[in-house]
Amino acid sequence: MNPFALSFLILGLGLIGWLTARARALRFDRGGAKRLHSLPAQHGWFVAMWTMLPPLLFLVVWSAVTPGLVRQTVLQSPAAAGLSDFAFERDSVLAQAREVARNPFDTEADPLARKLAPVVRDARSRYAWTGAIAAILLAFAGAVFALSRIRADFRARSKVERTLMMGLLVASLIAILTTLGIFASLFWESTRFFGQVPITQFLFGTHWSPQVIDAKNPGASLGAVPLFWGTFFIGAVIAMLVAIPFGLMSAVYLTQYASATTRRWMKPTLEMLAGVPTVVYGYFAALTVAPAVRKLAVALGDQFASSESALAAGLVMGVMIIPFVSSMADDSLAAVPSSMRDGSLAMGATTSETISRVLIPAALPGVVAGVLLAVSRAIGETMIVVMAASGAATITLNPLQSATTVTKQIVDLLTGEAEFDSPKTLAAFALGLTLFVITLLLNIVALRVVKRYREAYD
Amino acid sequence: MTKPAASQAERRPTDWKSAGMQKRIRRRYAAERRFRMLGAGAVILSAAFLGFLLLTMVAQGWRGFTVTEIALPIDLKVAGLKVERAQLATPAADLALAGAGLEDAVENAAIRAFGAEGGTYLAPSAWLAVREAVKRDPSLLENRAIVHVPAATGFDQALAGDGDAAMEAGVARLRRQGAIARDFNWAFLHESDSTDPVAVGIWGALKGSLLTMAITFLIAFPVGVLSAIYLEEYAPKNRWTDLIEVSINNLAAVPSIIFGLLGLAVFLGTWQIGGHVYGPMLPRSAPLVGGVTLALMIMPVIVIASRNAIKGVPPSIRDAALGIGASPIQVVFHHVLPLAMPGILTGTIIGMARALGETAPLLLIGMRAFIVTAPGGFTDPATVLPVQIFLWSDEVSRGFVEKTSAAILVLLAVLLAMNGLAIYLRNKFETRWQ
Repeated sequence: MNPFALSFLILGLGLIGWLTARARALRFDRGGAKRLHSLPAQHGWFVAMWTMLPPLLFLVVWSAVTPGLVRQTVLQSPAAAGLSDFAFERDSVLAQAREVARNPFDTEADPLARKLAPVVRDARSRYAWTGAIAAILLAFAGAVFALSRIRADFRARSKVERTLMMGLLVASLIAILTTLGIFASLFWESTRFFGQVPITQFLFGTHWSPQVIDAKNPGASLGAVPLFWGTFFIGAVIAMLVAIPFGLMSAVYLTQYASATTRRWMKPTLEMLAGVPTVVYGYFAALTVAPAVRKLAVALGDQFASSESALAAGLVMGVMIIPFVSSMADDSLAAVPSSMRDGSLAMGATTSETISRVLIPAALPGVVAGVLLAVSRAIGETMIVVMAASGAATITLNPLQSATTVTKQIVDLLTGEAEFDSPKTLAAFALGLTLFVITLLLNIVALRVVKRYREAYD
Repeated sequence: MTKPAASQAERRPTDWKSAGMQKRIRRRYAAERRFRMLGAGAVILSAAFLGFLLLTMVAQGWRGFTVTEIALPIDLKVAGLKVERAQLATPAADLALAGAGLEDAVENAAIRAFGAEGGTYLAPSAWLAVREAVKRDPSLLENRAIVHVPAATGFDQALAGDGDAAMEAGVARLRRQGAIARDFNWAFLHESDSTDPVAVGIWGALKGSLLTMAITFLIAFPVGVLSAIYLEEYAPKNRWTDLIEVSINNLAAVPSIIFGLLGLAVFLGTWQIGGHVYGPMLPRSAPLVGGVTLALMIMPVIVIASRNAIKGVPPSIRDAALGIGASPIQVVFHHVLPLAMPGILTGTIIGMARALGETAPLLLIGMRAFIVTAPGGFTDPATVLPVQIFLWSDEVSRGFVEKTSAAILVLLAVLLAMNGLAIYLRNKFETRWQ
């Protein structure tokens, strides 16, 4: 049975339970001498919860254990007699059998897999039906149990509310679980990587060429310094050279000079720059900006200029970051007490003198925090560099040459055909861990700066 | 100590009219104007970049929504197709026409009409257009008629002034015959990926996006809103609550590609527990795993927006509800939540728009499959609109450039509609508490 249809069936049963329970509670209300403790609808919710929650939880658990059970059944079937004893080979045949069971016209599969496919299909449908029937029985059992408890003085409300509170708590724990999940998975795969490649070789090595990995000494071609440099060069230098002046000056103009109408129209327009998907920026960088930059390089005398220069990716990334810098600068300029601005103007300073000598120095911590957040956003940005930057890892100060970044290498390493346990794949997780730690540090520092700065004027 | 006193006595009022002073004032005002121009320039240049980007996409993309058609004179009687008219009404018609050699007949008709090169002018799918025409009107089998069929990619490129010499000549000849027409490309909206740029469509990717977004919404919205309620209304002030808040704020700043690594390792990786190998938890390349990954990514956005919306509901509402005997749960679910809903929905739509435009994490969990038919369900291999754009941008064939830009226009239109809806909701339902 289709899991979605089954879920809808259970939700339907829950609705019926809700209506029945409310009607039953209403009868108590009318006929009984005692007043109901809880509202009829709360009795309804009590029964609906008992009808829906146990089978749905059961289905989640069941779908997790079913693959294991199917595997057991298939291995014990007579058709599995010819299976190899080697775990790797056996798993490969079983995987093919699962594929054939899904798509019977797959003719390239192993003959043994084709023989096993019907067994897989049978076992699968048998367990699916068992699960469906058990879930429906659970739903009915829950409904009957809950309905039998409805009395005039039954405290349905406190039961329902206690369950709901549990639900709220569980929902808020998912954030912690996600953080833990990210950290654990990155850390676990990285430790496996550092088991094969010394951490010092990875962090301080200056040669990066994952295409040719020496099996005896994988660390020799997995030194990440060129990636760190490229990431810093594109994200924190070139992009910021665009984003900081443009973002800061836009914020200054829109908050200090522009009329209300201009501000009302231009602020959302600039914010649209942040809403454009990064894949669109990447396409624009690769198709329009990169050839222009290459032409510039050729005009400057470099005949063999790369069409995947650091400058093209950095420029477009900078434009993408403008709204971040601008809105952070906007906030911190607005937080400067107006008495400071008024005082400066009253002394006879022009608006520009007030801005550059009073407002910006006073707002500087906020602006710096905004720039740090923007840098963390820029070095984590992926699609622009995947589409416009080069894969060649070089350490260069020339923006017209190619440079590569951590995020681009993660994508390149993981989208090729590679074994899950090879140093190449694991290196992506080590790069991910580095990126995670650096962005986290940048954010913590930025938040500290903002907090301290806010306290200064409050 | 007499000197300062003396200078003070000698000091006269500043002469603003003196030449030196006037020059100084002029210089300061000029600096003021320069600064102001600089600010205006920054705003205008930023906006101009946005305009340039959109214009480039429109200029390249509008052709992607059109298809070049060639009016092909065809006489199927001459070709001698052995097809019974009665068969054409049955489901076996496709097979019968293909078996009777319709594809060759169409190519021969093109050669007869347009010369030896005629066959190369037509798209590989041209005979399918003839097949549909014959099914609609069986009299075509006996009569000479003109059928509009899609042109080949090379022909289309030559028409745009970007093809090889042979094709250019063909275009010139057909143009003289008046055999070229351009029409809206409906196939682009209901077909899926293909190796031939003339035949591609975005429906498969769009449906993949819809399925993925459905999963994302079903997970991120309830979880996000419930945890916002807990944190804002019920959470005790202790170390656990602080931990939850810190992790939500950090998750909002984690680069999206990290969520791709999380999805790859947790949902698609294998687990070794007690000697048994479990997993992968979710099917690879499917909307299910993409949706779960994106849900984790945008959940912090929804939590933060919902908390702000809940915070905006004045405490007097809560006090009044508590005062007439509502339980704490009833206060929130009957009073606070409905009032905070516009803000929550606005934040949710903005988060969903972010998820819809996201590419990098989906690349890592394998949603870059070559999908020729639209995915049928949540567990089928699928791709999404931004990934489709990425895949097409990697194609060598020039014909894909306009298709990529056209797909970008569709994506931008959807995002614009979502953001417009968010702004509309905010303006329409936002309550200004006094």
